[in-house]
Order: sequence, then structure tokens, then C-alpha cells
Amino acid sequence: MKRNPLYLLMILVLVLMVALSACAPAATPTPTAPASTSATAETTTPPTASPQPAQEKITVIFPRHEADIVGAFEARVREFEKTTGIKVELIQSDWDSVADRVIPEMATGGSAYDVVEFDNGWVAEWCGAGWVTPLNDFMPEGFTQGMIPGLVDLFSCPDGKLYGVVWNNDTRFFYYNAAKLETAGYTQPPRTWQEFKEMSLAAKDKGVVQYGMAPSWNQEWALANEFHFWTYTFGGKIVDEQGCFEFNKDPNTLAALQFMIDALKEGVANPAGLTYDQATAQDAFLKGDTLFLPQGIAGLMAYTQDPNISKVAGQVKVGLVPGATPDLSATLTLPEAYAIPANSKHKEAAWKFIQFMTSRETNKILAQEIGLLPIWTDLYTDPDLLAKYPFWADFQAQLSTARGLSKLTWYGDFVDVTIAEVHKALAGEQTAQQALDNMAKGLAQFECQP
Amino acid sequence: MPRKLRSRPLTDNPQLLGLLLTLPALMAILAVVLIPIVSSFWLSLHQKDLSRPQYDAFIALKNYLTLLRDSRYLNSLWVTFRFSLTSVIMEVILGVSIALVLNQRFVGRGFVRGLMILPWAMPSIVNAAMWKWIYNADYGALNALLTQLHIIEGYRVWLADPTWATILIILANVWKETPFTVILVLAALQAIPEDLYEAARVDGASAWRSFWHITLPLISPVLMVASMLQFIWGFQTFELVYVTTGGGPFSTTELTTLRVYATTFRSLRFGYGAAMAYLTSLVILIPAVFYIRSAYRRVVEM
Amino acid sequence: MRVLSKRFVSRLLLYILVIIIVVWTVAPYLWLIISSFSSKIELLTVPLRWIPSRPTLENYRSLFFEYGEESVNVRLFIKSLTNSVIISLSTMSIATVLGVFAAYAIARLRFRGNQGMILTMMSIQLIPPIILVIPLYVIMRQAKLLDTHLGLIIVDLSIALPLVIWLMRSYFASIPSELEDAARIDGCTYFDALFRIVLPLSGPGLVSVMIFAFIASWNEYLYAFIYTNINAKTLPVLIGEFSTKLGLEYLKIAAAGVLASLPPVFLALIFQRFIIRGLTAGAIK
Repeated sequence: MKRNPLYLLMILVLVLMVALSACAPAATPTPTAPASTSATAETTTPPTASPQPAQEKITVIFPRHEADIVGAFEARVREFEKTTGIKVELIQSDWDSVADRVIPEMATGGSAYDVVEFDNGWVAEWCGAGWVTPLNDFMPEGFTQGMIPGLVDLFSCPDGKLYGVVWNNDTRFFYYNAAKLETAGYTQPPRTWQEFKEMSLAAKDKGVVQYGMAPSWNQEWALANEFHFWTYTFGGKIVDEQGCFEFNKDPNTLAALQFMIDALKEGVANPAGLTYDQATAQDAFLKGDTLFLPQGIAGLMAYTQDPNISKVAGQVKVGLVPGATPDLSATLTLPEAYAIPANSKHKEAAWKFIQFMTSRETNKILAQEIGLLPIWTDLYTDPDLLAKYPFWADFQAQLSTARGLSKLTWYGDFVDVTIAEVHKALAGEQTAQQALDNMAKGLAQFECQP
Repeated sequence: MPRKLRSRPLTDNPQLLGLLLTLPALMAILAVVLIPIVSSFWLSLHQKDLSRPQYDAFIALKNYLTLLRDSRYLNSLWVTFRFSLTSVIMEVILGVSIALVLNQRFVGRGFVRGLMILPWAMPSIVNAAMWKWIYNADYGALNALLTQLHIIEGYRVWLADPTWATILIILANVWKETPFTVILVLAALQAIPEDLYEAARVDGASAWRSFWHITLPLISPVLMVASMLQFIWGFQTFELVYVTTGGGPFSTTELTTLRVYATTFRSLRFGYGAAMAYLTSLVILIPAVFYIRSAYRRVVEM
Repeated sequence: MRVLSKRFVSRLLLYILVIIIVVWTVAPYLWLIISSFSSKIELLTVPLRWIPSRPTLENYRSLFFEYGEESVNVRLFIKSLTNSVIISLSTMSIATVLGVFAAYAIARLRFRGNQGMILTMMSIQLIPPIILVIPLYVIMRQAKLLDTHLGLIIVDLSIALPLVIWLMRSYFASIPSELEDAARIDGCTYFDALFRIVLPLSGPGLVSVMIFAFIASWNEYLYAFIYTNINAKTLPVLIGEFSTKLGLEYLKIAAAGVLASLPPVFLALIFQRFIIRGLTAGAIK
């Protein structure tokens, strides 16, 4: 027993040596991991792809698309490498991780990335800070022609230039469980929130479902999206063109928040929604516990077919989002774009990457493979795609009503204050009016000066 | 080990050797933290909002003064304090109790002791996701268990209730952190000489009395170390709350780390975020220094 | 007879208490394991089924084999596992070596700055890492340490070292100093005393402290999350990435979490004898 420590020290030193020697090769680009054959094949592709010695290399970071379980984006990136000979270091992870890596890098003026994720919520802020490169210097004449106009507008800055090209047209749609709705005695989806409420309560009375919807109203970042969504469908305003407050003055905004509160109180919405994120809300809908999913992702239909996560195969349809009145139907679009950091050293190559990845051809391939929603208008009438996704015909009408989040340089602060006050109102701890007043109070330093 | 007396090398001077041995460790720590501490403190004296660079300026202590009127921050400070203190108290009570039981002889003792490390070894992100799902109002294991045992009538939305959300988050934290205390206390318990208890038994002391007069005094130095570390770690908890409640319902479980994260990483107000972190550190620094000094003195003098 | 039955009752009570403790410790983890073998729809069943009716390996499969034939995930998983092992072992080793020396000096040598040293180390711990992340990021980038094993080891050291020093110090303090005093009269230097007397007596203590240091580094999330990308990404960071724009992917996290907690738990089970014995002396004073 007494000798043990000496052995231990020896082991320690050994471990240290092994660990440190294992460190050394990691600094070089060769992977240390005992790679499978496919992995080695992949790391050795560049020589075959490009014979020239001075090979350009760009680093690209963007989140995984939630429907991309087959690696479709990665396959496109490899295709890009093959056609252009530019090597791509691809970093894909979840949205939060990407955001928390990109923001410190941009904020500290780094040049590690050549193409970055550019979320619609960051546009005003990044334009103001001058972190991104205007794409007009690179793009050919008429590049944006045929693109959904809203997506171009969302990523244009006050100087009128375009700073991002959308790779993920994340527009949300209104899904309803047609089979359950019929059991409750309705053949048509609701056109107004009033009907929405009636149908939910009727279905509850008949024991079809317990709640019309399970909202994702946990106190987190996405609650601000929900606030936008309901405000839009009630015809309310959040801020005006100059960024001056409207939310605390507009009666329609108040009505929207009041509806959210009442939905919980009257049993239209599951009170558990106060603790749900979007994934859980979607789980509940796919399980058949709710009638409606007011803001579902475009790829939802594919999920309904998967028996591992869904019990509603063949029951779900797409409808128009209801509004306070039918003409107020609106939906949220939360697009994510590619942008080139101002400090990138490979802007030309980065632009080529963006062009390739957002082209009609790539868009169509990704649409076919994983149901990616195109950014090109004519792809929505493409016969191949319509044959595969017949419900895209229903998307059409909604797409024209899609709206983005408020463009504010202080959007982060807006979310921070909004989610706290709105959540408090939803929990019944303050009235809708109090919540909106408190938001104005909390954001007072950002109110525009007369 | 018969050895000839010889002149001692220069390195055997306690003053020199003391510095020689401690400086590498201190430098390894300071190399990482010193510059960031100084530069982020400097930052906390500035208005530095990436979203509004036109207002960037040196503003001395203004950030700190603003914080003292920032009700949401002050609330988070209180929430964090309550969270840490309650956690520590529960961890100490539970940790000592569990350690007392595991100190007895029973079949499979070694295995059970080894198992104790499990919660401690779990990555905190997994711990957070696990509890989030257990507490889920409609599909969670907690509701299922309690209804099947007929403890509650129907399913409840635990995390929408401020009191329950606070309790359950503390519970999840206590579950994860208690093993640290258990293992430290268990070790301390084993070192207590058996004859002390024998003597007490001869004197007719009850089990409770001998715990109170023999066990507790002897494990108290360990408890002090453990509880202080746990208290500090409590102030640095992030993932657990960020994932399970996000600070909700309506900011009643919002820890200061969540405020710092939102301010720095989401609102990009670096100066204000830094000030927030330093004010929080200051709030725990004062009691902690007293605590460390008294703990240190007791340990040294024993 | 009465004595026997009283003894029986107390034994019974003991085993009941042990069972309660085991259940409390293991139940949530067991639920994590069960979840990791369930499909989503099964997990959503009300009333809840405690044992899945159709257990599935799908979550583990998707952990490794999603992303098609390229099996990108296997590569990623193995790579981050390797990274975690390299970083944790290195941190543990360096922290132990440096920490043992420092702890010995603080425990045994009377020198100026002794108390200041330990106060400094503890005060540093009070500053939340979340605020050091960005300034440190800039330094790491300039030193070209971002996304390298070395960079993360250096950072993790600042977390593991104070823990090692604090625990080892109290451990050394508990070893009677008479032995060393005698040795020193014989002409031993402090170094001799450390290597020939103190360390041989504290082998088990070393092991326990090493495990604490290992786990501290193994589970470190914040720094690893911001400072690694491709080359040096650790396992907890990879697990944290199992989420979409909609929320966490609980089932994948569960599967990965079960796998990620195995190495430390095995380590603990193997060394549990040392942990308990090792801390015995260290904790007492």
C-alpha cells in the first residue's frame, strides 16, 4: 500500500506525457481522432478537387436546419468545393451556439469567419455597428429579381444596400388537425380569433381535446416572436419607422395581448404553455393533444408522418392564420441569411459561396431533399416541388402576409424587457395595459427623442 | 534513513521555497484571469453598448449607480442569494445525513458510495434538460409519479408557479451538488477515532449527544470548506435555470448570471454587463472573505 | 432476544435508509436512461409508462448515424470524446502536480504571503466566469489558442487548481508533522520530506483530488462552449448542440448524457475506495 503513491506519480507523469503529446498534432490540421474510412476520405478530398497549390479556404458558420437530418447542407457545401476549388471549413451547430460564437467574434473585430449566420433579429444592430459587408459590391445586376421581396427588404439596411442573402426562409404557418376539428363539428378552419376560440371551446366540451392550442409562452427569447405574431394578427403596431414606441399606445396591440391572456384564462390555451418552448408545443400538436398550431415550421408535414413522434398522420392541414378580422391574417417570418463579416479576408470567395448556396438550383435541391422553403418565388409553382409538397399551394397565400420582427438596433433589450413583462401579464400578475406601460418604462432610454 | 548532516541547499529556505512552490500555481491561475479581470473591470466603468456605439464613453461609477436602481437586477440578486443559501443549507443537512448513513456497515457499501458521484459527474446541460422534462406539466415524470401515488389530485403546472418553480430548481441543484458534500463528510467521518464514541457511550451519552459533541465539531472544518465552495458555485449557476425556466415565471427564478448573459450576449451592453458581474462579486466577496478568514484560522489552529 | 430484535430493527432501518438514498440518487438518472431508450411519442404518453412498451435504440443511432452515410456524427462524437479525455486528463495531471506543490507549501512552510495566496485564489473564484469570457476570448485569439487543446487546458487549470490546492492543503495539514520534523533533523530538505514522507502517506488523497479535478474539467461548459469550434470541441459542448431553433432535443441529449457521464462514474466506482480513504485524512483538519 505504501508504494502506491509512487506508482500513482508514475502514472501521472505518463498520462501527462501522453496527453501533451496527444496535444501536439491537434494544432496541425490533421485530425487526431481514429477516423473511419469515410472521414479520412473526406479530409483527403481537396487534392483531387483542386490541383493548384495556393488553394483558397473560407470558414463558414451557420446553424443546422431543423429538418436537415440527412446532411443535405453539408453535401451542397462539398459540391461547392468541387465546382469552385475553394475549400470550406464548415461549422454547423444549433442556433444558440452559433450566436454565442459569432457575436463575440464580430464584437471583438475578429476575422475568423468569412461567411456567418445573419439572423433577422440582428440586422439593424449589425448595420449600425458596421460589422457586415454590403453585398452590392459583389452581386450582379438584377441578382435579387425573383426573390421573395420581403426577404430582400428584411436584410437591407437603412443605406439601401443588401447585407444578407437568406438561406433559411423560416416562415411559419397555421396548421390545424382537420380530423379532430371535424369531430368537434367544424369542416372549415377558423378565419378569425373569435372562431378560433369558439372551436377550441366546442372541441373541449365534446372531449375531443383539452385545449385548442398549447402555446410556447415560456419566458425565453422566442416569447418576443409570439408577441410580434399576435400583435400583427390584431393589426397592432410595435414601433414605427423611426423606432418610436407604438406598443403602449396602439389599442390593437393591447387587444392582442389581452387575447393571449384571455386564451389562458378561458381554457382555449393550455396553461402549461407558460412553461413550454416551441418544441414542446409542437410535440403536443403532433401527439394530437391540441387542435391548432398557429406558428408551425414549414417542414412540419414531414414530421406528422413519423410514427416515432406523431399520432396525427393524415389529419393535419394548412390553413390561413386567423386574424382579429379575416383580412388581418399575418404570419411571422424568421429568416436567417448568410453575411460576410467586414473583416473577412476572403470576401470574393465568400460571395461565391453565398451565391452558390442560395441559387435557384441549390434551393430546389434542398427543397426536394429536406423540404427547405425556397427564397425564389417561382419555385413555389415548380411542378416537381408541388408534386412532392402539395400543401405548398396553401403556403402561397400566407407567404404574401409574412412579416419580420421589429428592426431595432436595441432589439436585444426589447426582447429582454418584453418577455419579462408579457410573461407576467400572461401569468395573471398584471393587466395587459400594465405590461405595455411597464415595457415602455423599462425601455425608456431607447424611446426616440422628439 | 541515516544521512550525513550537510549544508542545506538554498531552495530549502522556507520563504524562498514557499514562493517557489506556490508561484507556479498562482501564475497558472492569474495568467488566465488577471488581464480579463482588469480589462472587464475597466469596461464596467464605461458605457459600451455595441448597439449604440455613438454613446460609448467613460462614465466612472455610473453603471454601478444605475444598477442600484435597476429593480430587475436587484430582484435577481435576491433570487440568487435565496437560491444559493437554501441550496447550501439543504446540501449540508442532506450531505451530513447521507454520509452518516453510508458510514455504517452494510452490504454493497462500496458500490453505493461509488454511485454517489453520479449526479456530480453528469454534465450540467444534461442535468438541466433532464429536470426540465421531469417537471413538464403534461408529460413529466413528477406529475405522473405524484398522481400515481395519490399525493396530488391532478397534473399541475409546476414551473408556472413562482414558489414551486423556486423550490424545484433548488431541488434539482441540490440533487446535483449534494454528492460533493457527502464525499467530503464521509471521509471526515471515517477519520474520527472510534474510542471517542466508546468513551461517550461509557459516559451514557445518547447518540444525538455524541453526534452533537463529537461528530459535528470534528466535521465542521470540512463543512465550512464545502459550504463555502457550494455557496460560490450557487452564484455561478447558469445552465440549470436557463434551460428549465429561462428565469420565469415572470423573472421569479432569474439568477444574476442570466441577467449578465442577457445584457452582455443578447443586448450587447458590455459595460453594464461587466458592472453587473462585479457588483454581484462584491456582494459575495465581503461575507466570503470573512468566512474564508475564519475558516482558515480555525483550520490552521486546530 | 430483545437485544437481537432491537439489532434487527436497527439493521432494517439502516437498509431502508440506504434504499431511500439510492433511490434519491439514482431515480432521476434512471429516468434519463429510460428516456434515452424511448421514442418521443412514448415519452408523451399519459398516463406515463415507466417502462417503454417498445424500447428503441433510435436515439443512440441518431446520435451516431444521422447525417446519412458520411456518418459525420460518429466522427464528431468520437472526436469530442477524445478531446474531452485529452483535456480532462491533462488538466487533471497539471493541476495535481502544481496543486500538490502549492498545497504543501501553504500547509507546511511558514512564509510571507501564505495567507494572502489562498485568499487571492478564493477571491478569484468569486468572479463569475461569464464576465471573463469575452476579454479572455480576445487574449486567446491573439495567442492563437482558440479552438486548441492547449488553450482549453490552460483555461480549465484556473478552475481545477484552486479546488486541488484547497483540498490537498487540508489533507496535508492532517498528516502529523512530527515525522517530517524528525526527518529534517536528519538533514532532509523540504523536497525530501514531501516526496519521501508526505506524498507516500497521501497517495489515496491524491487520487480523490485527481477525480474532482478530472470531473471539474470534464464538465466545464462555458469556456469550452465559447472557445472551441471544430478541433477541440468537448463532449458537453457537443451535447449542448443537440437542439434546434425550436428547443432542446431531449432524447438525443439523454442518450448522449448517459454516455458522457459513464467515464467519470466508472472512474469513481473503480477509485471509490481511494476517494473515501483518500479524503479521510484530508478532511479531518
